[in-house]
Amino acid sequence: MTAEASPTQTFAHSGKFFNVFGLALKNAALTILTLTMYRFWARTAMRRRLWSRAWVLGDPLEYTGNAGELFRGFLIALPCFFLPAIFVFYIAPLAIEPTWAAWLTFTFYVVSVPLIAAARYWMRRYQLSRTRWRGIRLGLASSAWSFAAASWGWWILQTLSLGWYTPAARINRARMMWENTRFGDQPFQFETPHGESPQKGMWWPFAIGWIGTLIGSIVSFGVTGFILSALTTAGIITLGADGMMFSLVATLLAAALTAISYFIAFAPYRAAAMNRIAAQITIDGARFHLRAKTLSLLFYETLGWIFLIFSLGLLTPVAGFLQVRYLLNRLDLIETPRFADIGQSVLADTDAGESLGDAFDLDMGVGVI
Amino acid sequence: MHARYADGRAAIFSDVEVELAAETLIIRRGDRTITWSYADLARADDKNGRIVIRPKKPDTGERLMFGDGYDDQLAAAAPHLMKPRAQGVEGRKTVGALVALSWSLAAIFLIGIPFAADPMARALPAKYRAQISDISWSQVDAFTVQCDDADEATQILNNLAYRIMEASNVPEREDIWITIADAGFPNAFALPDNSIIVTDDLIRMADHPDELTGVLAHEIAHIEHNHIMKNVVRQISAGIFFDVVFGGAGAGQAIAYASVNLAGLRFSRGDESDADSRGMDYLDAANISTGGIARMFDRFQEYEEEAGVGDIPSMLSSHPASRERALAAQARAREGLAPSLTDREWRIVQHACGGADAIASEAEVAD
Ligand SMILES: [Zn+2]
Repeated sequence: MTAEASPTQTFAHSGKFFNVFGLALKNAALTILTLTMYRFWARTAMRRRLWSRAWVLGDPLEYTGNAGELFRGFLIALPCFFLPAIFVFYIAPLAIEPTWAAWLTFTFYVVSVPLIAAARYWMRRYQLSRTRWRGIRLGLASSAWSFAAASWGWWILQTLSLGWYTPAARINRARMMWENTRFGDQPFQFETPHGESPQKGMWWPFAIGWIGTLIGSIVSFGVTGFILSALTTAGIITLGADGMMFSLVATLLAAALTAISYFIAFAPYRAAAMNRIAAQITIDGARFHLRAKTLSLLFYETLGWIFLIFSLGLLTPVAGFLQVRYLLNRLDLIETPRFADIGQSVLADTDAGESLGDAFDLDMGVGVI
Repeated sequence: MHARYADGRAAIFSDVEVELAAETLIIRRGDRTITWSYADLARADDKNGRIVIRPKKPDTGERLMFGDGYDDQLAAAAPHLMKPRAQGVEGRKTVGALVALSWSLAAIFLIGIPFAADPMARALPAKYRAQISDISWSQVDAFTVQCDDADEATQILNNLAYRIMEASNVPEREDIWITIADAGFPNAFALPDNSIIVTDDLIRMADHPDELTGVLAHEIAHIEHNHIMKNVVRQISAGIFFDVVFGGAGAGQAIAYASVNLAGLRFSRGDESDADSRGMDYLDAANISTGGIARMFDRFQEYEEEAGVGDIPSMLSSHPASRERALAAQARAREGLAPSLTDREWRIVQHACGGADAIASEAEVAD
């Protein structure tokens, strides 16, 4: 074994691309062979790989979860979530009045929104409880339902403000998550420097993203619409079935262009939000400093999307890896916590697992948070 | 040998001396010693460049991290720690069991239930069937217009159908009802409530009553052999399978939704050829030539080629015309039989649903 590992920076990720890629390929193959049932094992192996190559002060993280418990969580979720879902989607349309069936489906979706938020919290709790550093377990305290309720409220504010509440909501969610995060018996804190806005530096990038997306969508739909009408006037395409096909393709193209402009326009915001959140996290007096930059972040994100799209989602963990490595290699610690005083976690081990996270397909494979 | 040890109670590693004895690993830290049996140990490093060892169960949080160059000694003392299993990688048995489980589920939901679809469909409460019919009808209403001049033609077609069914003793003959609908394309299809819809364009496509009768016979066979509800059971079963196995990603819902929709009323190839041959049995028993349906299959094919496949409303292209089907019908055709409708009846049927105007204008052109 070589001494390539244990880097000297405070945070580092020593994952090699082809090492991760190889595992992702093996996982993809077995996932197909087992009609996706292998996904729990794939996810566990990938996390073990990614965690073990994340170094903090020269010591690696460790993922202790096992696939069997994820699979059991899935089996538990079957009666709790899938059976109601099967009733709502398959039996109700046949067995009960159409109006009632429609209402039932609507109710199901309404209940799903906070349930997804709660599932996110459970999932994070599970992952943290299966993460150790120097043998000490991480954890997430408090209740998933209070997170779900608060999240729901912020989501409504986001909707009512046409998105402008998003930076505040993002910080609120991060605050709630981090203030309940524990390393051993030591809580993390989310502290805004005195006299500063928690969203400092996030509003302008958000405005760029919002306006950029708006312009992007107007231009995308305008240009495709113009080309379509020009072709129709020139008689190259005719109305009727062919015309329908063309306008459908044009709409999809415009939607794709809009999505791309959203992705690019919001890149400065994504970098700013990550940096700002990291700056407010503290543990035992130590602070964090993240140096995410728009262009480099955009580069790795684009690379990740390319993998995701061209592998039809099967190689999504590669995208997760690129992002984790990017962030860890740009993260610093200011001052050092007194680790000798940090004891083992007293939070009860969770076994609820990620069942619902799987049901809602929340992370597509890695669980990078 | 030197190593670093964390005791699982504080977030620090301290330097220790390690001795690899025959059955156990001994950790010396000051004047304290800790003894671990090799068999109870697992790896915690996933080959990240530093060997880390921990107690397997329970995980006390204790960790022992080796420096460089001790791999060989450790491998010699505890070979099992060098195997993938020690890193938590699952064995072949687990993978084998998963493959077996997933394919058995697939076999049950995609082969077993479809195989038993007929009895299961017959066991479905009438209420479910009525509900599915309502959904189908609401869609039929969305793309067809009711004809107000087709009462007599409808009666003629239903009498004809009854005559055919009586000759073959079809049990559903009292329930089946044929409706002529005004739509922009030629088609005929059966609904879950034993209705058969024939579009006016299909009637106009036929040159001889036997051609239309052949299509009706085919649709009646679909109903007698319960193909419609069998298909619904098959599709729902597939939907549940995809939902459970793939984790509710939405594929299942899409299939289930399609199944209670008209798009889901598409039959398997097997059901189609079954309906073809049963339909021709009816025609034989009722002394009607199968030459008509043979010509109709040819027309379908021509129509498809002319219009381009994209132009046929795909949700209704449940009767893909093919050369083979035409030939099979032609092979059974008998000469010298009377047409299935009299000239007068046939004219009335052709005049249904605004057909009178179409025929009148054609006649003018001919003059
Ligand atoms: Zn058919």
